[in-house]
Amino acid sequence: MTVFIRAGGQLRVRLKPDVDHYTRKVEVDGEKTIGEILKDISLDPAYVALIHVDGKIKDLAFKPSNGQTITLQPPVSGG
Amino acid sequence: MSLSKSEIERYQRQLLVDGWDQERLKSARVLVVGVGGLGGISATYLAAAGVGHLRICDSDSVEQSNLNRQILFTAEDIGKPKAALVARRLSVQNPEIEIEAISDKLTETNVSGLASGCDLIMDGLDNHSDRLKLNKASFDLNIPFVYGAINEWLGQLSLFNPPQTACLACLMPEELLSLKPTPVFGALPGVIGSLQATLALRYLMTGENPISNALLIFRADTMMFETVTFERRPGCGVCGKSCR
Repeated sequence: MTVFIRAGGQLRVRLKPDVDHYTRKVEVDGEKTIGEILKDISLDPAYVALIHVDGKIKDLAFKPSNGQTITLQPPVSGG
Repeated sequence: MSLSKSEIERYQRQLLVDGWDQERLKSARVLVVGVGGLGGISATYLAAAGVGHLRICDSDSVEQSNLNRQILFTAEDIGKPKAALVARRLSVQNPEIEIEAISDKLTETNVSGLASGCDLIMDGLDNHSDRLKLNKASFDLNIPFVYGAINEWLGQLSLFNPPQTACLACLMPEELLSLKPTPVFGALPGVIGSLQATLALRYLMTGENPISNALLIFRADTMMFETVTFERRPGCGVCGKSCR
């Protein structure tokens, strides 16, 4: 199946987008968790502060379905 | 708590706003922790709107690198304590309200004392670990907490009020791995600080939380606002026990 991973800020550079400025298309073999998908593309989850899918916060154990977009939020801690 | 003739004149334009309750604002006490990019803006709007008592806490002094975004300060203020400067400026801007300035560093020991007696806590901090201290005090004392944070082109805010909502630790329980210093330009904390003040004023006057269990995210690079929802986490180290 195919999922789309979207990220901004410092995470965008680590993601290596290929669809547009923010998005990378990833082919996934079978059903995998977001944590496993990030491992497959060598993106360290330590750089991810929040994950959301379809407007809801999810964790690394969430298994996305075909065509879903996973948004990765970098740490936002300034003021 | 009634309004004086001078207050009625000062606030006449906002008194025209549907649902506005100036007397409730006048009786409100709000703690603003951190008066840099975010807190300087939110404190300014809360003061201008007539929140009756502001307690301003910041242990920092003004640095030259603050001046791109912390618009209450000028080059003449470099080296001076922020809390006292902001209290003085806002007292001049609105002499009808009371403002306390506290230059103490936020610690696990003093945070409850700082927040005690307040109706609302405003987050103007610049790091996640201090926000977690504030979040814990908010839960322990049952005082709602208006969270806000920025980084590069991203800004986000929410109003945490457990047990009605999740708390910050449900969402981000640990210290975040972030760049130091934080990349930031001035207009972004201006936007997020203004939204925090708007949320706070609405909450103080009506008790409503329009973004209950939701994080409002502003992506300044695409000019998009996005709302993502979340739930309380039963295993949360702060509010988890009250979930059961």
